[in-house]
Amino acid sequence: MVDRWLRREDERLLTGAGRFVADLRVDGRLDAVFVRSEVAHGVLREVDCSAARETPGVAGAWSAADLPGLPPMPGGEPAREWPALVEDRVRYPGEALAVVLGDDRYHAEDGAARVRTRIDPLPAVVTARDAAADSVALFDGLSNVALRGEAGSPIAGEVWERAAVVVESRYRQQLLMPSPMECRTILCVPEGDRLTVWSGHQAPHRLRSELAALLDRPEESVRVVVPDTGGAFGSKSAVFPEFIVVAWLAVRLGRPVRWVEDRRESLLVATRGRGQDQHVRLAADADGRLLAYELTVEADVGAYPHLGVAFPMQTAWMATGPYTTPLVHATVRSVLTNTMITYPYRGAGRPEATSPLERTMDVLARRLDLDPAELRRRNLIPPELFPYRTPTGRTYDSGDHPAALDLALRTLGYDGWRAEQARRRADPAALPVGIGLSCYVERSGGERGSLHDYVGVEAGEDGTVVARCGAASSGQSHSTVFPALVAETLGVEPARVRLIEGDTDELPGGVGSFGSRSAQIDGAGLQHAAGLLIEEARERAARMWDLPVEETAWSEGAVHPVRGTAAMGLSELVKRTGPLRIDERYEADMAFPFGTHAAVVEVDPDLGTVRVLRLVAVDDCGRALDPAVVRGQAFGSIVQGLGQALYEGVPFGDDGVPLLANGLLDYLLPTYAEIPPIDLRETRTPTPRTPLGAKGAGESGCIGTPPAIVNAVADALRLDHPERLQMPLTPDVVWRAAA
Amino acid sequence: MKITLTVNDAAYPLDVEPRRVLADALRDDCGLTGTHLGCEQGVCGACTVLVDGEAVRSCLMLAVQCDGVPIRTVEGLAGPGGEPHPLQRAFSAERGLQCGFCTPGFLMLAAGALDHDPRLGDEEVADLVRSNLCRCTGYEPIRRAITRAARDHQNGQEGRHRSV
Ligand code: FES
Ligand code: FES
Repeated sequence: MVDRWLRREDERLLTGAGRFVADLRVDGRLDAVFVRSEVAHGVLREVDCSAARETPGVAGAWSAADLPGLPPMPGGEPAREWPALVEDRVRYPGEALAVVLGDDRYHAEDGAARVRTRIDPLPAVVTARDAAADSVALFDGLSNVALRGEAGSPIAGEVWERAAVVVESRYRQQLLMPSPMECRTILCVPEGDRLTVWSGHQAPHRLRSELAALLDRPEESVRVVVPDTGGAFGSKSAVFPEFIVVAWLAVRLGRPVRWVEDRRESLLVATRGRGQDQHVRLAADADGRLLAYELTVEADVGAYPHLGVAFPMQTAWMATGPYTTPLVHATVRSVLTNTMITYPYRGAGRPEATSPLERTMDVLARRLDLDPAELRRRNLIPPELFPYRTPTGRTYDSGDHPAALDLALRTLGYDGWRAEQARRRADPAALPVGIGLSCYVERSGGERGSLHDYVGVEAGEDGTVVARCGAASSGQSHSTVFPALVAETLGVEPARVRLIEGDTDELPGGVGSFGSRSAQIDGAGLQHAAGLLIEEARERAARMWDLPVEETAWSEGAVHPVRGTAAMGLSELVKRTGPLRIDERYEADMAFPFGTHAAVVEVDPDLGTVRVLRLVAVDDCGRALDPAVVRGQAFGSIVQGLGQALYEGVPFGDDGVPLLANGLLDYLLPTYAEIPPIDLRETRTPTPRTPLGAKGAGESGCIGTPPAIVNAVADALRLDHPERLQMPLTPDVVWRAAA
Repeated sequence: MKITLTVNDAAYPLDVEPRRVLADALRDDCGLTGTHLGCEQGVCGACTVLVDGEAVRSCLMLAVQCDGVPIRTVEGLAGPGGEPHPLQRAFSAERGLQCGFCTPGFLMLAAGALDHDPRLGDEEVADLVRSNLCRCTGYEPIRRAITRAARDHQNGQEGRHRSV
């Protein structure tokens, strides 16, 4: 009989037996509720928790002044410290002023409602460009600029002067909320000298070391466990002020304390993605050969310097894109603003690199009167040039970009749509259609310092195999995919292999799941570890049989002498020779997935509405461990990309407070009503950087789809000034652009 | 207030505050944590359960409104012998879930609709999928799953009718 459940995760998640942090029951647990600032920027004059403490069901209430020694956020600068609770200055809306613990959330909220606070508001700045002017300083006496960086070398003036065409434009990559359906969670349970931390998190080992350092205790005394996690998309990869408060209080009180973020809080204080103001210049000769590209990024990084301040450099390093442009220069200025911090969100820096380049390519094609597909074809890096070193310092591993472009055009029926477009243009009654392309290349695996992970494979006496790795799944099917890979390598039934991950007690270290790294790094690592286990098994068998190792062989989960038929399975081998476990720290280089996305839209210029008629995505992530899982990731990612293009954004009032008071009625996540027909196609160019050949998957839609859609709208409207179309393309934006 | 919630045919006598929402009573007082909370404002539908056969957002309903009314949650979706509901099978087969956080809501919404009318048409299925939020799958696999379950459900019922 075929297995009833396609994935190992499915049975528990479909029967209500999944266990997310909020589902865990621990006796004596307290719920944390934070009192939050309603202003974006101001001086904190007073926090009075006394009435809260008298509230029934409240176990305690504290402001920063009540918790001397509460550690600040790690990874910042001493002169611009980020306190876990506001001490004297509020710098972003929703920043936590006090915490109330109650025996349940209702009582904690009762208490929170009775905390009295007084803040004298200051003017707020919410965009990088405004903040860079330094007319409002977030830290007195210090500039708001937190980091400057560049990739590539400055381009000489004569290059621009001599070029046949130079296109210049400005773009805004709007702030986005990653919005996993489960918001952030943490449950801290102190027991004796140990603190067990349950959290829906992408990087459990990093969370452990950060919390241990913050609490000034040995790492071994902290255990982080990641149970079922309801999506993450980058937003659950850091330590947060609320985490510090909860862990600190749990230890101090010797009681379990939990924070389960609700959607209202999340829209106010979850990390956001993107947030860049960009200026570009692109030069080409009369044949459309690219000569030079310059990208200037003003990145809004939020209210405090933190790890994410340097993330916009990803955009600079990837600025070259998939083209052979000989001169590329990208500069970055990260600027503090009165918003919660920006942090990686699915794509993290690569959507911000792809979008300005691909949009500008379309403008260039229009200026040169060239078909946008042809312009791209003339400039894509040809397969024979890999490995390809870009002017912005990346070395692309492998690729066949023209093949991806051609497949996308064929799948879309490009010529047919161009004919339809011409037909409609000749018919005044017909709504215009537009066709948009976007060729992308992205980076997966991580950056220097995070290109490794810990992996292990262990054979048991009972014939089962346990695989371990430092990754943590939040919906990516690791429990299904990794055992299948290990089973295939060992030649055993997949049912015999199970995965343990997301538990810091199980491995000496781990990096986690972000930046499309799990399949590429952990997958390759597990395959490698399984290979080492086979070698070890052969050596043991050789000793036992008194044979040279070369006289042994491995097949179908058993070792046997090259000559002869006697085979010994793993279980027998373990029984005879003792425990068999391989633990490795596996490291590999980064890889560069790529592809082409194409969109067809119909626009009603009178109403400003955009109907996406068709999306085609051709993605190449090298070897796909489980093609159906990869397609699921690609599809979901495209829908998030659709969200950025058309619906999602964070509008601000003049006071710097996000206008999201109606929650998910204001922040518009795509629903099924918005899903166009989407065709997925793949090309397969394995990375030569691991024997496995897998590149990262799952971020492609957020990277490739938005510029394809925006280009299609610009094409439908025949816009010469693309600056008028800034995402999200709401009816208002489109109507104004069309007018 | 003293009430009795009847969930998946089991009685849960509770003493709850009148303000307690049904979702919290189910999750924390009955220990049925399969029902999830994604927004607590009636938008996402992750908290959908069946109250007297009707799909409701359990974050918008008070527990005291449900005293003595039969409630069905995802924990009660499988058959009495534990055999999976056609929807559970179909969600797995069509890859209608990734992280699984939104899944109980879609399952109960669709289960309620199938109970009312096993012959769900394409438009009705689309309407159901449009009602809830999922951030992982892009919805199309959920649509396929519900369509498949409706088909299996019908075949199953017709099969049963024939065998009677
Ligand atoms: S939690 Fe009830 S609708 Fe979102
Ligand atoms: S499967 Fe993750 S939100 Fe739907």
